[in-house]
Amino acid sequence: MQETQDRAQDASAPTMRARPGWPRHWPLLLLGAAVLPGAALYLVGWSAELPAIQAWRTVALSVVVQAVPFMLLGTALSGAINAFVPASVFTRLLPKRPALAVPVAGAAGVVLPGCECASVPVANSLIGRGVTPAAAFAFLLSAPAVNPIVLTSTAIAFPGRPEMVLARLVASLLAACAMGWLWLWLGKEEWLRPAVRHTGHQPGHSRWAEFRSGFQHDFLHAGGFLVVGALAAATFNVAVPPSVVDAFADSAWLSVLFLAALAILLAVCSEADAFVAASLSGFSPVARLTFMVVGPMVDVKLIALQAGTFGRAFAVRFSAATTVVAIVCSVLIGGVLL
Amino acid sequence: MKRPVQVVLLVLSGLGLLQVSLFTDLFLRYVKPGMRPLLIASGAVLLALGLAEARAVYRRTRHDEAHPPPHVAWLLFLPALSLLLYAPPALGAYTAAREAPRVVETQDARDEDFDPLPATSPLPITLGDFTRRVQQDRTQAIKGRTVEMTGFVTPAGEDGSWYLTRLLISCCAADVQSVKVRVYGVAAPKADTWVSVTGTWHPGGTLGTSSARVALDVRTVSEVERPSNSYMDALPLG
Repeated sequence: MQETQDRAQDASAPTMRARPGWPRHWPLLLLGAAVLPGAALYLVGWSAELPAIQAWRTVALSVVVQAVPFMLLGTALSGAINAFVPASVFTRLLPKRPALAVPVAGAAGVVLPGCECASVPVANSLIGRGVTPAAAFAFLLSAPAVNPIVLTSTAIAFPGRPEMVLARLVASLLAACAMGWLWLWLGKEEWLRPAVRHTGHQPGHSRWAEFRSGFQHDFLHAGGFLVVGALAAATFNVAVPPSVVDAFADSAWLSVLFLAALAILLAVCSEADAFVAASLSGFSPVARLTFMVVGPMVDVKLIALQAGTFGRAFAVRFSAATTVVAIVCSVLIGGVLL
Repeated sequence: MKRPVQVVLLVLSGLGLLQVSLFTDLFLRYVKPGMRPLLIASGAVLLALGLAEARAVYRRTRHDEAHPPPHVAWLLFLPALSLLLYAPPALGAYTAAREAPRVVETQDARDEDFDPLPATSPLPITLGDFTRRVQQDRTQAIKGRTVEMTGFVTPAGEDGSWYLTRLLISCCAADVQSVKVRVYGVAAPKADTWVSVTGTWHPGGTLGTSSARVALDVRTVSEVERPSNSYMDALPLG
């Protein structure tokens, strides 16, 4: 009797000693995780040599490949802000009154080179460090649209038409600030998912370890949503027939709305959208300006990223409002300048 | 997502990026050549992150497990494995057939923008230059000249003609645009074949105005190798 009990204890001992939190056969699961998706992908690849599927895969992969360096830059920056920059820096740099902090943060978007994927994690870590959400959102919206790289590529895409660059700069800044003020007026904190990660530097922890784990977490998080957005963008890219594009070019109002919708669905990165806009030569300049103002602020990839970072309740309301504000701003500024 | 899985994901993503940018030039199927240093740096950073995490896991460093990355991070395995195992080909005839040909800037083309053509025959020329010569050069220098161009084959459907095609990107393959020259006189080779053709302008409309048709009466067609960077409008080699 005593013996059997001992044996039973012995038998259960190895499982007791296994470290909590890991599944029992984790090396096996690991192998499965590494091999199964690859095998599935391989089979899908072989069975679907259809040109449409291949084009879809190429476009989806190219959106990811293009975005990853900028996203790494953004997440590294957000990890660094979290671990190294004390919250007091931002309270000193930004005006005390939120209504004044909004335009300052919007104009600060000039310093973050890259496209829109970089700005979401940075805005999130700014909120985590006590920056008023309205100012962080103004930065989030303006950074991808007004940085020097994007403005230069706009000037190259529209040779001999500097007013296009100016209109894009002014309309984007105006829309970003308008959204910041709108958030101050109507926004509710409870739409935002509580910022769980960005706790700043904790005494007793290594800053480098905090930086690394924040960087890694943000990249995996945002990267997953980037893939969702890339798949959606590739689907629209391959599925929207070009004849539809021409059908809308004639009507002034429809063309503005249509190009705004196209900017949201195609999710072209903000460094390239000027070239796409330039190629849509059947459309009015105002409609093309709308394409360039809406694109960096709202698109399927960004909606997926924002839903992942700030929560779905926020992403839906914010994207809808931004679309309307961006269209109104580009029509107003385009009407004056173009 | 457990920490060992994160290690594998980060390492695979890093290796995938290095595979297409450092060890091969497959990245040219997706983005511009200028992205190469950024992609190599990104691959190295991801690899370093993965190795650092592996070290932390090995040393069993405490790590707050309260907020692991969401399940959506699993999707990152798709691009990572796709880059490593089965990189999809560059865009080709399927995309070109759907794209309207790129509109060549017409506003400022003056006669002095067009230098006299060199006397070599056949004259190597890009598809974009040929289009501009046909539709904008009022001196009609292209008239009667034998030109040589390289591109890939896009079937046109009716009457046995086809398009000699190049695709151009300005950032990544999502913003692709096409230049096409309609080809007459030779049966269409298989779609997506890269060919070098020689021939003369196929009359239609008034040469030197936008009414002129961008088309070629072809004399010879020879198969050539697909260039590693297919997204540019380059002169024929040799």
